[in-house]
Amino acid sequence: MSAIMPPAQRVWWKQPLDRAEGAWILIAFAWCMVMFFMMPYWHVYGKQNLSSETYRTTPEQFAKKAQAMVDQHTVRVETEQKIPVVKPPVGSDVYLIARLWQWWPMLELEQGKSYRLHLTAMDYQHGFSLQPENINIQVIPGYEHVVTVTPNRAGTYAILCNEFCGIGHHTMVSRLYVK
Amino acid sequence: MEKPVHAASDAGAPGIQTRHAAIPAEPRAASEELVPVMQQILENPFLLLFLGVAIPTVVYIVWGVMEIAGIPIAK
Repeated sequence: MSAIMPPAQRVWWKQPLDRAEGAWILIAFAWCMVMFFMMPYWHVYGKQNLSSETYRTTPEQFAKKAQAMVDQHTVRVETEQKIPVVKPPVGSDVYLIARLWQWWPMLELEQGKSYRLHLTAMDYQHGFSLQPENINIQVIPGYEHVVTVTPNRAGTYAILCNEFCGIGHHTMVSRLYVK
Repeated sequence: MEKPVHAASDAGAPGIQTRHAAIPAEPRAASEELVPVMQQILENPFLLLFLGVAIPTVVYIVWGVMEIAGIPIAK
């Protein structure tokens, strides 16, 4: 009970720690440790929060690499906006540009194979949201995020922009094919 | 320094004896110990509030700036 009463002496600093107070400190510290180590554990085992490489880049630098990929691996063109559909080689670097208000180009990937997906924005902040998966990445001008993706299910996926980017934000939708 | 057991202010709490250490108005007596710095800090709730906000804020900002400054240039 002495832990919750005022200290008996003015200078209590040198008093031995009361058992109740010591027990509370230990319990609180133990819980802090549990919460702290849950963070890296869940990052790994809970499949949350993609680890990504990040590089500084410029729109021109990235656009050059994206254009090179499009020039070499375009298989067809789709939509009214004439967006090229690119089928990149397995294991290669794949470049996806976010700009007002489209994703360029469209990608056709192979099931079970890995690719290094590079993402950047040309103008404002965009959000890469792969639907119906739970994969969401901020796409920021001046920075290039690289994520290793391995599609494990064939089908057609949607790429939405989930970071408000202006009047056409809701039209910033694309398709991702996995064959 | 000790107050009587049933002072007027204790009217609502009979049987509870409180001993408040009165803050001496006169200069500290030679026999009284100086309060250690750590105790002064832990006894000051507003200082603790300030430190509890300021220290995480500074650490967060400094860590973030270091992380952003360390982003490599794309090849």
